[in-house]
Amino acid sequence: MATDSTQSTTTASDGVSDPILEIRNASVSYNDGETRVLEDVSVDIDRREVLGIVGESGSGKSMFASALLDAVPDPGRLTGQITYHRENGDTVDVLELSDEELRQFRWEEISMVFQGAMSSFNPTMEVGAHFKETLKTHDRNVSEGMAFARELLENLYLEPERVLNAYPHELSGGMQQRALIALSMVLNPEVLVMDEPTAALDLLMQRSILRLLDNLQSEYDLTIVFITHDLPLVAALADRMAIIYAFQFAEIGPRDEIIGNSAHPYTRKLLNATPNLDAPLEEMQPIEGEGPAPVNVPSGCRFHPRCPLATEECRVEDPPLESFDRHYPDHRAACHHREEAREEIPLNFGEGAQQFDHQPSESVASTASTGRPRTGDEPPLLRADDVEVHFEQSQGLLERFGGPPEVVRAVDGVSLDIQEQDLVCLLGESGCGKTTFGKTLIGLQKPTGGAVEYRGQDIWEASGSTDVTRDEIRAALQIIHQDPGAALNPNRRIVDILSEPLRHTHPNVGRNERRSRIHSLLERVGMNPADDFMGRYPHQLSGGEKQRVALARALLMNPNAILADEAISAVDVSLRIEIMDLMLELQSEFDTSFLFISHDLSNARYFAEHGDGRIAVMYLGEIVEIGTAERLIHDPRHPYTEVLRWATPSLDLDDMEASDPPIREVDVPDPVDPPSGCRFHTRCPVAREACREEHPDLEGLDDAPGKAACFREDPNHAYWDSEPLEGAEESDDVLADD
Amino acid sequence: MATETDSQSSSEEIDWRSESSSAEMTRRDRAEEFYRRWVYEPVVIAWSDVRTRLGILILGGYLLMAAVDVFGLWRNPSTNQAPQLLPPFENWSFPLGTTNSGVDLLALIIDSTPFILLMVLAGGVWATSLAVVVGTVSGYKGGRVDTAITSVSDFFMAIPGLPLVIVLAIALSPENPILLGVVLTINYWAGLGRSIRSQVLSIREASYVEASRTMGTSTPRIIVKDVLPNIMPYVMVNFVLAARYTIFASVGLYFIGVLPYTGQNWGVTLNNAYYQGGLFTTEALHWLLVPMIAIVGLAFGLILLSQGMDRIFNPRVRTRLSGESESVEEDENTTTTGMF
Amino acid sequence: MNYYLRRTARIPLTVLAVITLTFGLIRLLPGGPFTQLRIQLIRQGVPVEQVNARIEALQNIRPDAPLWQQYLDYLAGVVTLDLGESISLGQPVMDVIARALPWTVFLVVTSTVLMFVIGVLIGAVQAYWEGSRFDKTFSGASIFLMAVPSFIFAVVFLFFLAYQWSLFPTGFASARGVESGFTFEYFASVVHHATLPILAFTIGGIGSTALNMRGNSIQVLGEEYVEVARLRGLSDGRIATRYVAQNAILPMYTGLLLLIGFRLGGTVVLEEIFSYPGLGYYLISALEANDYPLMMGCFLVITVTLVVAVYIADLTYGFIDPRISAGDADGY
Repeated sequence: MATDSTQSTTTASDGVSDPILEIRNASVSYNDGETRVLEDVSVDIDRREVLGIVGESGSGKSMFASALLDAVPDPGRLTGQITYHRENGDTVDVLELSDEELRQFRWEEISMVFQGAMSSFNPTMEVGAHFKETLKTHDRNVSEGMAFARELLENLYLEPERVLNAYPHELSGGMQQRALIALSMVLNPEVLVMDEPTAALDLLMQRSILRLLDNLQSEYDLTIVFITHDLPLVAALADRMAIIYAFQFAEIGPRDEIIGNSAHPYTRKLLNATPNLDAPLEEMQPIEGEGPAPVNVPSGCRFHPRCPLATEECRVEDPPLESFDRHYPDHRAACHHREEAREEIPLNFGEGAQQFDHQPSESVASTASTGRPRTGDEPPLLRADDVEVHFEQSQGLLERFGGPPEVVRAVDGVSLDIQEQDLVCLLGESGCGKTTFGKTLIGLQKPTGGAVEYRGQDIWEASGSTDVTRDEIRAALQIIHQDPGAALNPNRRIVDILSEPLRHTHPNVGRNERRSRIHSLLERVGMNPADDFMGRYPHQLSGGEKQRVALARALLMNPNAILADEAISAVDVSLRIEIMDLMLELQSEFDTSFLFISHDLSNARYFAEHGDGRIAVMYLGEIVEIGTAERLIHDPRHPYTEVLRWATPSLDLDDMEASDPPIREVDVPDPVDPPSGCRFHTRCPVAREACREEHPDLEGLDDAPGKAACFREDPNHAYWDSEPLEGAEESDDVLADD
Repeated sequence: MATETDSQSSSEEIDWRSESSSAEMTRRDRAEEFYRRWVYEPVVIAWSDVRTRLGILILGGYLLMAAVDVFGLWRNPSTNQAPQLLPPFENWSFPLGTTNSGVDLLALIIDSTPFILLMVLAGGVWATSLAVVVGTVSGYKGGRVDTAITSVSDFFMAIPGLPLVIVLAIALSPENPILLGVVLTINYWAGLGRSIRSQVLSIREASYVEASRTMGTSTPRIIVKDVLPNIMPYVMVNFVLAARYTIFASVGLYFIGVLPYTGQNWGVTLNNAYYQGGLFTTEALHWLLVPMIAIVGLAFGLILLSQGMDRIFNPRVRTRLSGESESVEEDENTTTTGMF
Repeated sequence: MNYYLRRTARIPLTVLAVITLTFGLIRLLPGGPFTQLRIQLIRQGVPVEQVNARIEALQNIRPDAPLWQQYLDYLAGVVTLDLGESISLGQPVMDVIARALPWTVFLVVTSTVLMFVIGVLIGAVQAYWEGSRFDKTFSGASIFLMAVPSFIFAVVFLFFLAYQWSLFPTGFASARGVESGFTFEYFASVVHHATLPILAFTIGGIGSTALNMRGNSIQVLGEEYVEVARLRGLSDGRIATRYVAQNAILPMYTGLLLLIGFRLGGTVVLEEIFSYPGLGYYLISALEANDYPLMMGCFLVITVTLVVAVYIADLTYGFIDPRISAGDADGY
């Protein structure tokens, strides 16, 4: 790629030889300078590089993105200097442009992709109309422009005609996001600023889009500024990376330096806090505390209240962002203790971690293979027996004039046993039916076929008089929702919310007794001072705190199983590990089983391995593979598990140059009309004719614990003699051999 | 403790059931908290909004007038109690002037205030409470209950309000203010019930309602604790609109002489003024204007009150005004929403 | 069954229910449906023994038949568009209604459309200059307008514009001497007569429409897609119309059609004040003359018009707003 940073000898601080954008002392302030949401940021962006900018929510990273287009939201004030260099040598002072010049500059030179594609399109206008109006206002030839738009859409694995003629809501989230990327490129801009463009999507789609971006970048000579909270995600794409903390850059440098040799304690702690597949579990650690709000930024170094290395110097003096290593002059870090940081905060992945890679696997595998201790013939805690959940879909306008209603097969014949104090992770893309299946297991969704049993009692046939009563089952199966903001009634205070479960479990307990129980549990889940929190409304809590309350609420029911539905994906990265640890600790304290739903293999792995549990991979309403985390990661048997493995970002530098995804189609097929035979055959890289005709069953593996539903496990299957499907590989090379 | 029998898990007892005196609350604390939450805070919030404050003052004026009548502090209206067609603000014994038969207009207005207020209250309460019951039940229950209720309310929505009221008024001759209020809003609930239903439909899907269901909370309790508080602002605004409709409909129908009446009231006064020459000469203009101002004033007060109503039920406003701390996240939200 | 079929099938059911209600109400009325007619016929000198036969001829209902028989007769009458004969006017009810309905529809549709357009424009400008003096003034004015019923505007307009200053006629749909027909004179007269009722009926509704539009527009202005459109360099005009206005007005559309139905009932008072010969006017005069056939006819027709308006609202919503599939059009 273009940044050949190590050889750079220019005077520019970032060692950038051909900058396309030079940002000098950019600040954004509100309330007449009282609130500063971006402070004195200076950076150069090289032509045709990918600059990844990483920061937690509220760190000012979005403000930086807006500043590049001089589009800071009112009434914010942007000061400093932003210089744009055209390819022909002209320079443009972005902040001095007139309104009309700025109108032309945006989208023609620098364009932007926002996080929420759904909210970036006018909901009452067809997608194609967005392209046309953009071309028209910029005086481009519409038919040529549309031809280019079709080319872009095709490069993004979309069917141009279908997408252009659709209304935004008719496309899936991943399709919308890709259409938005095409829209941002329709005027062939030089720079693409992307503000969390994939955060709302599941991991596989994120990685696929990043892969496509990589291709687009080289094909159209783009400069990309990619802003995200997800460090490992952008690491695969970026040439250089910058870490933003509390409205300033904490560290900036070449990607490999930042990942492998970072010098700022925040960067190093952030790397260690990121769940990934390479790090030994014991060393993943959360960062204590939260980033500061713009009104009370700490004096001196902004990170000192959370930094383990902070000294008096840090409290008093703000360290400048400067280069320190003469071998890497383009690596800059704002820290007084760069050397100590490198020594005292070891990274928990990469080379240092290699030795851990296979060592714990055996112990885990051995415990897992012996399985859960079963007590005689006791029925399992929960048993799903050939469960089916089919929904009738509300139809579009045209189909409504006739024909039978379409049926979505959300869950289609799934069987699963969950033991007492068991831990199972359901893993899959959005739309694979994992949430529906989870809710069916805890009795929130009535199955349309099959049965769910709780300790041998069908939960939909339980009543007040059965051995296991309906009320007992209801209390025993609890849930923690994905969005902690929506999971707490905004009109009730924490103490009222938490009193509710106690009314069920301890109906005769007095008010003071209830309060003291809540008080102690709040302290237990790490909310201090508990008294203060009890009187608050949900909107006065942070996302992580809300999730703790939701956890406490579920635990107060004394449940035997808790469904955690993507329960940490809405929590800031640096806090995820902490919440997961809390869940795991409480699981053993309260003797419950956990059902953990995720689209992220690294989270599922953390959970399953720590809790000594299994991961069940779901695809289009079916379980395609199940086993221990260790085996799924190192010895996946189903090609789909392999795909999810690929989609999980890694911090291993050798592994980083992303390969193409081992799938043939980016989008999940319509669950209304699932593919025949093996449902994965339309995307599977090694699918053959046999896969299209016959449906594989989930069967136990011969040589490893767990089960998989793939013909490739049977050496005598007709699969091996049939022809590969179009686009599929004949050999196994596409599947990485771990 | 006797109540502890059902908590089987022993670890839980040790870990988090430690007594902590700081969580204790005395009866007095609770009373104070109750006062704070249900009296002090709503009043502070309402008063902090200029519109609501003005609305409260206006409605207070009407209540005062009703009280004056109830306690007999002003003369009752009767013919020839004063010179005919006295203009307002000339004779301070009859501040609003008199009618062409020498009736004190202020006495007329005051005399019918309790009647009007009762009728308005009855109309508003009937229409909104029925709509809330119908909307929440059909929205939350769904299924056959929903289909049945929706069909019935569709039918009532299809009947034009005023003509039905006119026919009913002739059939029932309602003279009691409460009955009259109910008759006037006889099918007002249907449309309101439908829109409450669609709101409840979306609240029903909210995670916190699902969490309550998962805990086995009873449906009535979920409706009261989780659903109703979230539609309360909407309900209160519509209560005011229903009350406004009751005033307009009653006065309108009295005015065109369709509703049966025994005594005087604002609509009847307007009718008399209109048909007994008020239209043709400016000398009787005040006779027309006084009942009009009474009507508009009441409706205006109600609407002003409703403008700030949603704030009372908004926990964010509540915490902000009582000076409690806001979370970091709140600050973030304000910056991010300000972004676009 | 699909939504459109279900929705269409519901219309006759609703109408049937309304007919039944009408039939029942008529029997609740003091003296019942036939007393008045009987008195009148006897006064006209019809022999007592022929009275029932005459009633049957006029109203298609045998007064001495059992109730269910009367009900069926009434139904049959309605289905054949025969609503009997008006007692006070001595004409078939259908003829009277056919004359009155266009005036009412004219009044309601014109005023509602005017109200909607003006309200939307004011609300949009308010939202655009949110917090300005214009915004504050008009917000206050809107709240005040919501507090004034249309008949008060009617009375005030009549007092000043018609009686005191004689700028407009005080009643009726057109001047007496003018022949109806496609002449300019006739149209001018119609417009002249309709101005005050339409004005009175329009002004009252502007307030809530403007407040509604203001709220919706402010919300849409804060949407990300508006910001993206701005960054894409679209002109302010296109953003204002295609982006803000369209997305702000769409949710108000069903409300508009329902409002037309609602206001259909509301014209009763206005038509009476302006002696405007619409359905409401005849409804009240039938009421005063105890002319039950005419009264019920008016009631029935107003209701059916409303049913049709709601039906159109339900059906078209799915086509107008691409996000809504018609079955979800419960949002009002």
